[in-house]
Amino acid sequence: MTQPSASKSQGNIGSLIVSALFVLIGFVTLYDSTSYTDRDSQVFPQTVAIILIITAAISFVTRFLRPIDSDGFGRGVWWRRLLLVATMFLTCFAMPVVGFLAAGTIAFAGGLIAAMHENWTAKTIVLYWGCGALIMVAFFSLFKFVLHVPLP
Amino acid sequence: MELGHFLSAMTPFNIALALFGVIAGTIVGSIPGLTATMALAVLVPITFSMDPASALILLGAIYTGAIYGGAYAAILLNTPGTPSAIATTFDGYPMAKRGDGDLAVALACFASVFGGLVGAFALLLLAPPLSRVALAFGPIEYFWLSVFGLSLIASLSNGNLMKGLAGGAFGMILSTVGVAEISADIRLTFGSQVLIGGFGVVGALIGLYCIPVLIDLVAVPDRHLQVEDNVKSVRIGEAFRLAMRSKFNLIRSSIIGTLVGILPGAGGSVAGLVAYSEAKRTAKPHQRFGEGEPDGILATESANNATVGGGFIPTLVLGIPGTPPDAIVLGALLVQGVRTGPAMFTQSGSIVYTFIYGLLIATVLMLPAGLLIGRYAYKSIVTIPKAVLVPTVGFMTIIGTFSIRNSISDVIIMLCLGVFGWVVARFGFAASPIVLGLILGPIAEQGFVQGWIIGAATNNLVGMFFGRPISQAILAFTIITLILPVFLARKQHNSGMEAD
Amino acid sequence: MLRRSILKAGAALAIATSFATGANAELNGPVNYIIPFGPGGESDISARLQQPFFKEKFGQDMIVSYQPGGGGAVGWASLNGLNGDGQTMMGVNLPHIIIKPAQKDVGFATENLNTFYMFHYTPDAIVVPASSPYQTLADFVAYAKANPAQVTMSGSGKASANHLAQIKFDKMAGIQTTYVPFKGTGASVTALLGNQVKAQWGYTTVGAAQGDAVRMLAVAMDERHPLFPDVPTFKELGYDMTGGAYRGIALPNTASAETTKMWSDMIAEINADPEFRQKMLDGGFAMLDVNSDEMADFMAARAEEYLNDARAAGLIE
Repeated sequence: MTQPSASKSQGNIGSLIVSALFVLIGFVTLYDSTSYTDRDSQVFPQTVAIILIITAAISFVTRFLRPIDSDGFGRGVWWRRLLLVATMFLTCFAMPVVGFLAAGTIAFAGGLIAAMHENWTAKTIVLYWGCGALIMVAFFSLFKFVLHVPLP
Repeated sequence: MELGHFLSAMTPFNIALALFGVIAGTIVGSIPGLTATMALAVLVPITFSMDPASALILLGAIYTGAIYGGAYAAILLNTPGTPSAIATTFDGYPMAKRGDGDLAVALACFASVFGGLVGAFALLLLAPPLSRVALAFGPIEYFWLSVFGLSLIASLSNGNLMKGLAGGAFGMILSTVGVAEISADIRLTFGSQVLIGGFGVVGALIGLYCIPVLIDLVAVPDRHLQVEDNVKSVRIGEAFRLAMRSKFNLIRSSIIGTLVGILPGAGGSVAGLVAYSEAKRTAKPHQRFGEGEPDGILATESANNATVGGGFIPTLVLGIPGTPPDAIVLGALLVQGVRTGPAMFTQSGSIVYTFIYGLLIATVLMLPAGLLIGRYAYKSIVTIPKAVLVPTVGFMTIIGTFSIRNSISDVIIMLCLGVFGWVVARFGFAASPIVLGLILGPIAEQGFVQGWIIGAATNNLVGMFFGRPISQAILAFTIITLILPVFLARKQHNSGMEAD
Repeated sequence: MLRRSILKAGAALAIATSFATGANAELNGPVNYIIPFGPGGESDISARLQQPFFKEKFGQDMIVSYQPGGGGAVGWASLNGLNGDGQTMMGVNLPHIIIKPAQKDVGFATENLNTFYMFHYTPDAIVVPASSPYQTLADFVAYAKANPAQVTMSGSGKASANHLAQIKFDKMAGIQTTYVPFKGTGASVTALLGNQVKAQWGYTTVGAAQGDAVRMLAVAMDERHPLFPDVPTFKELGYDMTGGAYRGIALPNTASAETTKMWSDMIAEINADPEFRQKMLDGGFAMLDVNSDEMADFMAARAEEYLNDARAAGLIE
């Protein structure tokens, strides 16, 4: 017997949504393939899209009929996750404007603050930020001067 | 075999080059986003002033070091440092999470050295006949090989078969985004310029594996990896004993790696996958593959290092590069005036044999160097406070992804894939099937379409797809791989019921 | 009299100033040579051959890097966004840069690429394995006529030099062969050697690299290639076909005229070096010299030729 609470759990709903999303992606691919001019380039995407739709649909149906209380976002602090991801995206957009090292500092700072669960002490502030600066400069030099990557 | 060349390989200069190359390669390989190809591309000009054999030794040493180095990030950060190390994450990361990370790293070193030696010996002794094997693989064989690869994805998705297959199919769809190789249509870009280049494997690797790890690391205050307080050096002995007990696994995986390495375009990731799946299929009942089984690491790391020697076979004998690093080596040789191809072993025999012996020496040197570097890598990852580890790795992913194609949009794509990958992984869709689909997709598509064109032209479609001996063998393997687990599970179930 | 001397003085002044401004363009530091493909192809090999000569003549490092994607489209679409100070340049290929934008919107237009030199081409050639029953082009054509569509030929890519050559020759000879596209010349050579296909539309570089393992039936050149004195040209055998894949170098279009001229001269100097020419010829390449002054006419002539061929082949409207 399925427990009513399980079918409403975050894990279940999320799993159903993701499966549905994949089915949608499959249909989008099929739709896009109609615009290709060459028959050769249609065959593969169509076949794979059909496989995706079938497998994701089966996964949807089986989960729907037999909800299990597993998966889910788990425990964890949301603002930290968002901070990490947001700063990394920000870095990308800032890069053409302020250059690589400055933009990278944004990401590094975001990651540092997000990952720091303990309280900041004078020692940790100096140590972590200092090491951070060192690491960033080291990687930057490695890529720019040794490997000749044109970092902005 | 020309043992005289062994002595010329043993000059202090060559040995120094080999050692330097292995160390540099290991470091390069361990940084996700830095590929062996990049490192080789930068170092080629240095080789112009060296004699060809020494140049080759340096490049080969870097290549083999990089394939080994990819295991560090795979084990300690669940991110393959190079695509060859994808299968190492299956058991490497679980081992690290339960405190056996140093053991895993040591195992990776032993396995890599063993596999590298097998590949190099194959290059030394069996290059001409093995190159004919490479030629026997036509488009159809590649197609069936990629189907086999996908069936492995299915069999590795314990209990989540549909989700694994869906992930693989999704990865394959991702691989079609951009300009089609075989036709010149532009697919799934929705008019955007950004996606014309498609999803690169390395960027997707970093996004789908590394970003989710980072997102989870910041969310909880726990330490990243458990630290055991006991003495570390004991683990090297333990690793050695485990490796010795698993001799058959090592040998079989190295042979698989060499054979896959011979096929141009297949690469270390496919080799690791096939070797892993074989090891899992022949596992003893007490072994728990996917939860931190040492044999898993031994299989994948020996297979992927064997592809180094294997890949040089078509490169040197046929002048057809097995992998992008091989292509760079080819270029470097051409500039030196060395003609690869059938004449190479006879005309430039001294260069070739000196190089092969140098590769052997470099592989052997990888043992002490690798164990040492591995120890320090493990210690640093484990002791660095998470607050510094996370931003460092994050920064590394950004700079690494950027340097693949000097493109900021690649980084944005990587991040988007990362967030997407984290979300879907939370609900049962793992990263590995998607990445493997991304890698196998082009191989499958090209093989299928080319085989179709040839078969249709010669009015032999059925014979083309099903009548060729190698294809039949691969197909048989695929069916066994898919059916055997189901069969065994049912047998266990039945015997369990009888016991009641 | 006075007028003529004023004109002469004016001309001399103009030349002097152009020299002076030409001298302002200079290299400072290593240069980036971006190949918009993966390593190992003809573009890469020819760049690698240039690398040591560049260092020797101009004292700076030439750093070769790769930016594959979209069959070159990703690299070319990004070229004009790069720094135009003369330190960065990119390899370009014909017919790719003409045909790709004509087919669909790939992010760049042919005329916007500041191509300043075409330094070689790889002439088309029909290649068969050494064990093949076709000894001459006539054998090949006869077999193809008797067995329409049965002769499978591998080649690199679609709407590429190989593909265009196959379409053109099929029409000229009145035969019907089947083209099988592969990803790059290397893959198409593998298919040929493995007897997956009966023949290959490749280049003279394939013949050079594979040596005795293959036989070239004809090459698309005006005269026989020095490396292969026994291989007839298509012209000799009655087919008016010359050409192949041309390769050159381009700068971002933000580069100044002086910088462009400077680079054109530098590459011309490397191209004139007899040792470099010999290395290229030994590799099976055919040399060509089209500098920045002649480029516009050259590109216009090629564009007309390629677009006509592509239209006739049904590849573009």
